[in-house]
Amino acid sequence: MKSQRLKSQSAILKNNSEFHLEEDDFLETRHKGVRSWILSHMFYRSNKYLMFIFFALIVFTSFFGSYIYIIIGKAIDVFSAGQSDQVVSYTFIVLFIGLGTPILGLLGRACREIVAQRIERDVRREFYLSLLGKSQSFHDRAPVGDTMARATNDVRFLNFLISPALAMILNAIINLIVPIYLIGSTYRLELMLIPIIFSIIFILYLRRFLRRLTPPTVSRRIAFGFMNTVLNESLSGIEVVKSMAQEEHSVEKYKDSAMSYRDAGIEQGDIQAKYLPLLLLSITVTLGLTIAVFYNRAGILSVGAVLGLVGLLLQLRFPVNASIRSFLMLQEAVVGAGRLLEIMNKKSEIFDSHDAVSKEIEGKVKFENVTFAYPGTQNKVLKKINFEVSAGQTVAIVGTTGSGKTTLTKLISRLYDIDDGRILIDGIDVRNFSLQSLRDQIAYIEQDIFIFSDSIFDNISFGRDSSEEQVISVAQEAQAHEFIENLPDQYNTEVGERGVQLSGGERQRIAIARAFLTDPKILILDDSSSSIDSETEERIQKAIFKILRGRTTFIITHRLSQIRWADLIIVLNQGEIVNQGTHEDLLKNSKEYQKIFIKRFDKTLDDLLGGD
Amino acid sequence: MSRKMGYFGLDEEGYDRIYSDRELFSRVIKLFKPYRRSMTIVIIFICLSSVTYGLTPFLMSLVIKQLELESNPLILIFFIINILILNSLGYVFNYVNRRTGNRMVYGVCYNLRRQTNLRVLEQDLSFFDKYPTGRIVSRINSDGQKFGGSVTMFTELISSFLMLIIVLIPMIFISLLLTGVFMLIVPIVFAFTLSFRKVSRRKSVLGQRSLAQVNAFVQESMAGIQIIKSFRQEESQFENFQAINDQSFRVNMSRALYLSILFPSLDILIAVLYALLIFFGGNFVTQGVLSGSDIYLFLQSSLILFAPLLQIAGFWPQFQEGLSAAERIFALQDSQSYIKQGDYILDSIKGKIEFENLGFEYVPEKPVFKDFNLEIQPGETVAIVGHTGAGKSSLTKILLRLYEFQSGDVRIDGHSIRDISLTEFRRSIGFIPQVPFLWADTIENNVTYGAPDAKREEVIWALEQAGGTEWVESLDNGLETFILERGKVLSMGQRQLIVFARVLLQNPSILILDEATASVDPFTELQIQESMERVMQGRTTIIIAHRLTTVRNVDRIIVLDHGKIVEEGNHENLMQKNGYYARLYNTYFRHQSYEFISSIKSKISETNP
Repeated sequence: MKSQRLKSQSAILKNNSEFHLEEDDFLETRHKGVRSWILSHMFYRSNKYLMFIFFALIVFTSFFGSYIYIIIGKAIDVFSAGQSDQVVSYTFIVLFIGLGTPILGLLGRACREIVAQRIERDVRREFYLSLLGKSQSFHDRAPVGDTMARATNDVRFLNFLISPALAMILNAIINLIVPIYLIGSTYRLELMLIPIIFSIIFILYLRRFLRRLTPPTVSRRIAFGFMNTVLNESLSGIEVVKSMAQEEHSVEKYKDSAMSYRDAGIEQGDIQAKYLPLLLLSITVTLGLTIAVFYNRAGILSVGAVLGLVGLLLQLRFPVNASIRSFLMLQEAVVGAGRLLEIMNKKSEIFDSHDAVSKEIEGKVKFENVTFAYPGTQNKVLKKINFEVSAGQTVAIVGTTGSGKTTLTKLISRLYDIDDGRILIDGIDVRNFSLQSLRDQIAYIEQDIFIFSDSIFDNISFGRDSSEEQVISVAQEAQAHEFIENLPDQYNTEVGERGVQLSGGERQRIAIARAFLTDPKILILDDSSSSIDSETEERIQKAIFKILRGRTTFIITHRLSQIRWADLIIVLNQGEIVNQGTHEDLLKNSKEYQKIFIKRFDKTLDDLLGGD
Repeated sequence: MSRKMGYFGLDEEGYDRIYSDRELFSRVIKLFKPYRRSMTIVIIFICLSSVTYGLTPFLMSLVIKQLELESNPLILIFFIINILILNSLGYVFNYVNRRTGNRMVYGVCYNLRRQTNLRVLEQDLSFFDKYPTGRIVSRINSDGQKFGGSVTMFTELISSFLMLIIVLIPMIFISLLLTGVFMLIVPIVFAFTLSFRKVSRRKSVLGQRSLAQVNAFVQESMAGIQIIKSFRQEESQFENFQAINDQSFRVNMSRALYLSILFPSLDILIAVLYALLIFFGGNFVTQGVLSGSDIYLFLQSSLILFAPLLQIAGFWPQFQEGLSAAERIFALQDSQSYIKQGDYILDSIKGKIEFENLGFEYVPEKPVFKDFNLEIQPGETVAIVGHTGAGKSSLTKILLRLYEFQSGDVRIDGHSIRDISLTEFRRSIGFIPQVPFLWADTIENNVTYGAPDAKREEVIWALEQAGGTEWVESLDNGLETFILERGKVLSMGQRQLIVFARVLLQNPSILILDEATASVDPFTELQIQESMERVMQGRTTIIIAHRLTTVRNVDRIIVLDHGKIVEEGNHENLMQKNGYYARLYNTYFRHQSYEFISSIKSKISETNP
């Protein structure tokens, strides 16, 4: 199942994103705009043959759908003339067309359904892939609920565009042309003017109709995204909502978003209700009837011809009626596609440079005048950071809350790019590493460990093809094996959102096991936790110290014991390094360090300073 | 993952249930009750516009009859003007009907969403433990949309029925026999479409579930994107996505293909019928039973009839999607919340808390508490300590009424918490969860979340109390800085400070502090601790302690083990007693010490040279 098309080390990188696959057939059309992008999907690979069959069949079936009226007209003339021998043959002609059309229609429908469902699948795949390729700063800002709305609902509208909207529109076009042609060919050429004038006004009106539908359609799609965002957020924070009895607040917020969705829908409906071609058609048909009556009086048209002419004009109601719905669907799809492209065409701030290198990291890390503000903000979270670590050393980062500790560690694996200065690993700027090679060799154990709704096994192996023995062995190293064995289904136990809830200490050990499996050269450990559970604590500490060995480690901690074990301690204050050195140095010389630690442990300070 | 019919993860949710069509319909009709007026208008105007459009071919045939009779041109003009007026009226009727109908449908969907949202928020936490957010969101929003779409079909159904009747009447006058032939088809068509119903419903349900699955998957990968990136696991994540996306493709394809058989098959039935009509009609005309214009009108009318007939027949299988959406939403609305709520409003809570013979379990047969007893006096500060799984957090969640207990009672100032109205009660309890949760809103609004009327000065006061405002001032827009979803970009410590300030503003009578295991540096923690101590005065406080440094100054320490109190007393007493707590305390500080770390280091070096 492993995709062979992964392109990360490859050199030609037109697609500037953090992650993408070798073949991106829509790269070009995405940038050309909504129309060419949708078309490129419609005619993608074998879709074009299906589309061709579908087009051909719809022309064919629509034509016969109209033609049957002519046949009936003829049949009546023949029957009226008393030719009873023709009855059977006309019966068979009608039967033949009547049976043939739906059978071919079924084939056409199948083709269009296949294309429609494929487009939904392929577009969603393309969109999801593009989400994976966006940089962290994008994800920080994109509300999850809105992204969900785009990935499900906006994508689905492209499905509806093909089936049924496009079918309805094609059908409408043919139903517009055929009566015009038949009027001209069967009756009189100048009579064609009536439906032609109608068609011109009709088409002009449709353009205006589409334009007027745009604003409410855009706001309806946005409102849907917002409705999803609000709901998703309030359900994610349900514990807070409930414990503060703020359900009403959540309800109000959701109500507002649902209301703007409703209002946009109403506006769309109001525009649809005013749909003028319905009235126009009535006028056209009466006009046609009047003219036909005059022609009849003048002896140019027979009564049967008047009947036929009116019948053909009445057929224009099919395109008129179908366009109300189909053009709204068309507009929904265009707006939805626009929303998808809006995200997909956003440039990722981070991507592999064209000469990105992949190499084994030894683990020397150097920060040179590193300055950083989160994209879109002015506040410098880190200012002129300078330090150097040799391979295999352990660096402890300490500082008061908000001083930039976690941010600093995120920069090493290039989750964000810095504004100024350089970060070097083994003397190479991290921006010159390929992301694959860089992140493969750096493991990150976050503060708030994220567990996926999946089995324990999959949470540890996390995408790698690992054997059971490997997973068990790293779980043992991470001191997690024992508690996993006590879970209802051991390694197959489902955890996460709908599974077993793991405690903080258990999550941490899963994350450590995950890191063991990747065997990184650089390890980042945001370990500010402390468990009072002595047994757990001992296990966690064991696991941590096991994993530190032989790697360059950045550890964010407030545990004096761990700090003292570090080769280098960096003291951060408001984004600046105020001191660096060893525990003993800092305790003597750093006011900031003293501020953080001395007060708290004043009672036991003597013991701690004494060390033994 | 469990597999069903070759699909994975598309099983029903625990709260899903099957409603009979009758139940569903009466529920749907109930939704339309507030729109009785609109409904009346829609029905009246649908009737009017159907009549006008239905009469047009009839009037036209009259005109043509006049032509055959070669009558006065004035009569012809009179007829034609009438047709024009009738059609213009039809346009107006249609406008009113569409506009009102659309407004009604959006109104109904809006109410449905609001109700469902309300019902979901009433659920206790055990519900959210079981059902992923992404799937609930999909159910309320996407199924709501599906339902709305189907309701529109319903109004079209009414107009189809009317069309059927209006056009059928003149046909009966032309030829009863031919109409009889025509009517032969009706039962066959209906029997045929009804046979589609069941499978269509099943396939629709699967389609909706697979969409919910995609939704939930996207939600989770966006929530966990940082770790996916850090481990460079985009590819494996993408493969998992492919599996789900491909499944959704297969499910929807199978539904679409199945439904696409429906109409062509009906067309075939109709073709046979039409051939029959031509055959009989042709014979009638050649035998002089019927005139040419009669048969023309009859055939023309029957062509017009097929559209509404097909619409009526096709309604049922297609409406299954709307019904399954309605069923999914109603099931969500009807799922029972286990929390019972009384209407007694406690005016001012003094803060006496009693747990009496409390019995509680998350999963049946695995009790967390059995006959648990504890009494906390007003104003007392109690710390609860114990190993993971001892029941510390459960105790506070029971008190907050986030989970329902099974036996015994919990009383506040002597009133059972089951009799108390939840809103006032929860607002007078300040709860600080282990992991701080922030809303995508400004810092100020996050602080005032529990007290929306608080003034700017109060917000600043609260933040000062919670460890200072310096860091807020350093942000781009100070208090008005907009925090991104879940507080991303703020440090975990800063998020905690905001949550502290939030609870301070709420000014609760009872304070519950589920101490964070992580994040705040010792200096800030000390600051918070000092302000907490001030805040705790005069309030009943329960601290779930994860760091033993906090517990030294509390009035009473409760040591929990497997849902039972093993020791209680203050720090000094318990240390003197030299029991469970003393051991816990000593090992905790031992673990903070250098020797401990060194010993582990050397142990590891020994085992893995």
